[in-house]
Amino acid sequence: MAAALCFFAADAVSADEVPRKAEPCFVCHGPGGNSTIPTNPSLAGHPAQAIAMQLYQFREGNRKDPQMSPMASTLSNAEMNELAAYFSRQKPAAPSHKTAPENATAGPKLAQQFNCVQCHGPRLLGQQHIPRLAGQQHEYLLAQLRKFKAQTRADLDGNMTSAAQALTNRDVEVLADYLAGLSVQ
Amino acid sequence: MLTSFRTFASRAVPALVCLLTAAAALAQAPAAPPPWKQGISADQANSTLHPFAPHMTGRSSKDLPLDKLKVPAGFKVEVWAEGVPEARSLALGDKGTVFVSNRLAKNVYAVVDKGGTREVKTLLKGLNSPNGVAFSKGTLYVAERNRISRYDGIEASLDNPPEGKVVIDGLDPQNQPGHFWKFLAMGPDGKLYYNVGAPGNIVMPGYFQATISRVDPKSGVVETVAQGVRNSVGFDWNPQSKQLWFTEHGRDWLSEDSPSDELNVVKTKGQHFGYPFCHQGDTLDPEFGKNRDCKEFTPPVVKLGAHVAPLGMRFYNGKMFPAEYRNNIFIARHGSWNRTAKQGYDVVRVSFDAGGKPKMQPFLTGFLQDEKADPPMWGRPVDVLVMKDGAMLVSDDYNGIIYRISYGKK
Repeated sequence: MAAALCFFAADAVSADEVPRKAEPCFVCHGPGGNSTIPTNPSLAGHPAQAIAMQLYQFREGNRKDPQMSPMASTLSNAEMNELAAYFSRQKPAAPSHKTAPENATAGPKLAQQFNCVQCHGPRLLGQQHIPRLAGQQHEYLLAQLRKFKAQTRADLDGNMTSAAQALTNRDVEVLADYLAGLSVQ
Repeated sequence: MLTSFRTFASRAVPALVCLLTAAAALAQAPAAPPPWKQGISADQANSTLHPFAPHMTGRSSKDLPLDKLKVPAGFKVEVWAEGVPEARSLALGDKGTVFVSNRLAKNVYAVVDKGGTREVKTLLKGLNSPNGVAFSKGTLYVAERNRISRYDGIEASLDNPPEGKVVIDGLDPQNQPGHFWKFLAMGPDGKLYYNVGAPGNIVMPGYFQATISRVDPKSGVVETVAQGVRNSVGFDWNPQSKQLWFTEHGRDWLSEDSPSDELNVVKTKGQHFGYPFCHQGDTLDPEFGKNRDCKEFTPPVVKLGAHVAPLGMRFYNGKMFPAEYRNNIFIARHGSWNRTAKQGYDVVRVSFDAGGKPKMQPFLTGFLQDEKADPPMWGRPVDVLVMKDGAMLVSDDYNGIIYRISYGKK
């Protein structure tokens, strides 16, 4: 099973060499970090520091997930940096999610109103330690926004928890639908 | 809501004040802003300025433009140790061990010099924002957000440190949202000095907040040393006068160039340095400065620049640097985020002429690449430390690296 995935992965990912330790990641996050499982986030094209930061958060127990916590627990800082650099270089696939027309209009307004663009960038592609939102998996976006709102998801400095308090449940749905269908170009 | 109203009226509980102040400041969102956004005005609401996060997994010095680092003629700067993630405050053991703290992370490291290389040991783990480290008479003291602990005989047990013994607890009774990390230093009087910052950007602090205090490690008795200090994360004693000098961060979201961050001196125990009423000795706060006069408060000795985030400081007491550097103050400026044109990200040297007039000049620069870029820098100094041979170490939490600055052939 793993071998078959590796073979498939070799066709689908960028030409640069796949680090051995990235291969287990493909099982859940998709080849080259383009996830095909709606609850699992894509990793391709995120800023390297954002990926390294989350691996760090999982390893340190600040962020808890039954799959990611054990996966991160064995990684050294250097390995986290290597994985982060690799996935940041991978080309994000165009989103297959189709945003509802009313949300394509309402979404950008919310992203401005609630200052998403302030940290995630004008096209929501992320920067520094802040992840890409554009074209991210829809279910994953919904889950994270809801967790931040419920104050059950860790963040380094309290920013996302605080930002999410201002969102209504409807805002969360509109934003997730808008972001998941947003072009990553 | 009734509690909130009473709190608003009395301004007694900083955490709830933060919530209420936020509600007043942000027209649309009723929830509390993150601490760094507290006090932002309506016309600044669309600002894209934001604090930076360190590379928590550290970065390798081979990936960094070290050749951009500059020191004055005759000096040399090099990487001394790396792989010290989020390297913050520094302390020196009698046997030459360098202790390194964390602020957002949870460890204290011990760096041992093996001659050509440095060995980095994770000494303590799982602590609660252990930003303050101090060494005295064989004992390592660590200040977490809520308590100060001691580790006796530490240099003999770096691979198997003892359990910490609590010197004082209860330093963060409200789990305050901001400025809860502490700098720690052992004074010439044998007492441990530490800061408790204001819980938010611009709020009325509780009686024990926005202060520098000291505790007698033998008795556990605390005294207030300085008040009206928004947050100090670096202090040291003048070797000649024995007076306590400290750096201080000014408030954010007032303007690009005001107020300046400060270098202050405590001449009398209990002096009030102005926060939240008066900033930089001459600027009344628009909200808290009503019906106050800056004359009531102690002004800074030196204005260090707006938003430059001065952190660790030391008086140079080594013998390696030229004589004119003796007793000068070296300050690590972490660098600005609350300013469009970024500044800081360096180590500055403050000297005084015969008449006591201060002069500030750059000492270690080159971390700032592009003042308008986001991020503008590739490294951020946090603390400085004078070694036994007179060389100076500089910690960089952004990369998890410690640099060494030497003079002459060494």
